[in-house]
Amino acid sequence: MPEQRKKMKCSECGVEMNYHADKLDFTAGLEDPSAIDPDFGGIMEECHACPECGKTVTRRVT
Amino acid sequence: MNDSRPIFIPVILGTPRQGRMSEHVANFVVDEVAKQDGVETELIDVRKVLLATDNAGQDIKDSQFSDTVNRADALILVAPEYNHGYPGVLKHLLDTNLKEYIHKAVGICGVSAGPFGGTRVIQNLLPVLRELGLVCIFWDGNFSTVQKTFDGSGKLLEQAYIRRLDKFFKELIWMAKVLRNGRENVSLT
Repeated sequence: MPEQRKKMKCSECGVEMNYHADKLDFTAGLEDPSAIDPDFGGIMEECHACPECGKTVTRRVT
Repeated sequence: MNDSRPIFIPVILGTPRQGRMSEHVANFVVDEVAKQDGVETELIDVRKVLLATDNAGQDIKDSQFSDTVNRADALILVAPEYNHGYPGVLKHLLDTNLKEYIHKAVGICGVSAGPFGGTRVIQNLLPVLRELGLVCIFWDGNFSTVQKTFDGSGKLLEQAYIRRLDKFFKELIWMAKVLRNGRENVSLT
């Protein structure tokens, strides 16, 4: 179960975005090894989408 | 939820090779998907997305391609089968993005000069697309003996493809709508 963090707001609409996925990025860690989650071996990103305009953003967890 | 927005489904023409027959397929697919209610599309030609070859991945992201994929609800890949695999240029392009693909639908149109309609390129693409966070539909476009399916000007000679592709589009649009609703309204927690 992902940890609860502050909800993201859409920069276009100002409405609360929906947190719909966690995605491991195995390539980004090459430039920032300290950000690699040791349990998963990659950088964890949260994916959020706006229910009004569909805008999607990601937020690094580690 | 805002359901008035059209579903945006760009079509990626996955080969830059001279004399590519896949261009006829991609143009046909763009024309047909544009006829679907509530759908917008555009053609992305790998030949026109100029990427560095001395690096790879998200470091060499093309902003226009990324913006288009970010806006997309689904993708259609038109991929010829080269030596049982996918074109390296297509993989090079796909690898330049990641977060832009998450929880979006994808369908593949395989193209081959032989009788199998690109089934092997489709099968080889599936694990790649899954790792990118895309959701693959269970209908494919299989364009076999493509040199006989279109004439030299790109005119379709085998009308059955219209009905076959309609099934492919219906499933892709359904998946795109469901995943848009999921992205925007169904929380992971």
